[in-house]
Amino acid sequence: MRINSLRLQLLAWVVLPLAGLATVNLWTSHGNALATADLITDRMLVGSARMIAEQVAMTDGVINATVPPAALEMFDTGDRDRVYYGVETAGGRLLTGYPGLPGTPGRPSMEATYRDQTLRLLTFTHAVVGAGKDSPISVTVGVTLFGHDAMVRHLWFSAFTQQLALVAIAGVFVLLGLRRGLAPLIRLRDAVRSPERSELDPVEIAGAQSEIRPLVDALNAYMERVRAQMAAQRRFIANAAHQLRTPLALLSTQASYALRETAVDARREALVALQASSARLARLAEQLLTLSRAEPGSRRPRADRIDLTQAARQVLETHAPRAVGRNIDLGLDETGAVPVIGDGTMLREMIVNLVDNALRYTPAGGTVTVRLAATDGEAVLTVTDDGPGIPVDERDHVFERFYRLAGATDEGSGLGLAIVREVVENAGGRVTLGDGAAGGLVVEVRLPLAGG
Amino acid sequence: MRLLLVEDNRELADWLGKTLRQANYVVDIVHDGEDVEHALAVGDHALVILDLALPRMGGLEVLRMLRARGNRVPVIVLTANASLDGRVKGLNEGADDYLAKPFQIEELEARIRAQLRRANDRTAPVVACGDLVFDTNTRLFSLSGETLSLTPREHAVLEQLMIKAGRTVSKAALSAAIYDFDTYADPSAIEIYVHRVRKKLEGSRVQIATLRGLGYLLRHDDLVP
Repeated sequence: MRINSLRLQLLAWVVLPLAGLATVNLWTSHGNALATADLITDRMLVGSARMIAEQVAMTDGVINATVPPAALEMFDTGDRDRVYYGVETAGGRLLTGYPGLPGTPGRPSMEATYRDQTLRLLTFTHAVVGAGKDSPISVTVGVTLFGHDAMVRHLWFSAFTQQLALVAIAGVFVLLGLRRGLAPLIRLRDAVRSPERSELDPVEIAGAQSEIRPLVDALNAYMERVRAQMAAQRRFIANAAHQLRTPLALLSTQASYALRETAVDARREALVALQASSARLARLAEQLLTLSRAEPGSRRPRADRIDLTQAARQVLETHAPRAVGRNIDLGLDETGAVPVIGDGTMLREMIVNLVDNALRYTPAGGTVTVRLAATDGEAVLTVTDDGPGIPVDERDHVFERFYRLAGATDEGSGLGLAIVREVVENAGGRVTLGDGAAGGLVVEVRLPLAGG
Repeated sequence: MRLLLVEDNRELADWLGKTLRQANYVVDIVHDGEDVEHALAVGDHALVILDLALPRMGGLEVLRMLRARGNRVPVIVLTANASLDGRVKGLNEGADDYLAKPFQIEELEARIRAQLRRANDRTAPVVACGDLVFDTNTRLFSLSGETLSLTPREHAVLEQLMIKAGRTVSKAALSAAIYDFDTYADPSAIEIYVHRVRKKLEGSRVQIATLRGLGYLLRHDDLVP
């Protein structure tokens, strides 16, 4: 059975061993009580026998034994014990007492059955002056065990109650201590559960112990992370809404213009432009979706094994018509498969954004080259273009979402490089920007090469 | 009626310009907040349409600067930030109206008309001078109930004279109101436009009088000069 309550667990850990110890203790104390009772009984038997023996004397040459009442009365402890005695000469003649009482010559004491009763017996030997061959005499006193057993019970019972009280008190203190010790945890629970806590502010638990403090700190750190993530998400959504508004205004304006225009050519021109705007808007929506998917935690992490060379080839093939249309020399420079581990869809989307950017900024008649290599355990993907490049002091910023170069006149969304960075970092790689030999931009993506 | 459109998204600026020109406005476009002051100094713009997200000098800053220099040209602010806070800020900085993107062009035009009416102390959407009537909503002139067919330049000349009806309009002011930055402002061409408009107004009770060295004046027979 599993106990899930901390209180019960701790109580069990404290009280059960304590109860075990108490049991062992009781067992030994039972032994002690028995030994004590034996000792006391034996002392009484010795005392009684000695009293009887001392009354044995020679009277007119005849050995005479009288049993003093005190020697028997000393066993009258209210337990209805019966006392048996016998005084014998050295020759074995019974002077007085009960016949056939077993003697214990040479031994301290013994227990024996006499007349269907268990007796504790002791024989005391005593020399009688002038008794001749009758000396020494032996006095045997036996007593039933009622008083003895009552004494054992009495001694043992008081030990038992003491031990029981000890265990009970220990249990109570454990519970009290736990109640006190767990109070900060209860307060933490109430603080976290409180209906007033709509914001993720850190919780402060006064009096939290050094064992609970790390829990509170970890909880606060976690809430801080969640809060930062939520804030980033909110900023992103606000930004995205902002970025969608201008293209929508453009779309609506173009539609209105086309509706009002009566000249066929001008109307056609407006409709063509409207079509292009709506395609760009669709692309923007797609990029926003990609970005939200690239966000950590928004998608189950995938570890596809994909060949970057093949992925790049597919991307270039789909972008070839656009390149041909603008007379751009779009080329792939590869020496074989470059396998990496990552989210295949996102990695492909990353290449799409790089190629899309390169084609966008390269003037008509320029060159765009995608190069793939595997060096030192790294997959290296570079995209080189003939465009205007990115000034060095802007290079850190262009990876930010919606960041646009000052004075940029093209229709880029400002999301492409943000997507690239997000995807590359999720796949454990890094992306850097450099100058092309011909003045354009070189984007270099390095990813860990898949083994095997 | 000459408008200044300040919008950094070139495509949106171009198409807004085209659409407004369709409605016989003369439209100048600048893409940068820093160009606004200069543009306003050169052209005699009746109204500014100002986007807030501008490179170098933001729209709010432009607005603050204009108002600080005492320029009272009506400004309609366009913005992608539709929050209440943003609207209040814009209006506090001296914007006359506020329009959040995306908007319908009809709404922008209605707000332009409303601002122009207010700037000219008019409340009625229809301006009349004798039997010549200008409907600021449809932006069409009519003479005795008949729509007057005018080219954009002729329209600009007549609209300017109409708004200032009964007052002298200098050739320079007329020129500033009808030419945009992309057109060479030829002062002698003004005379040609005025001449053409006069011909179209023949037979009506409205005349364009020439005051040598001063400019032109639109008047009708009922008006005591």
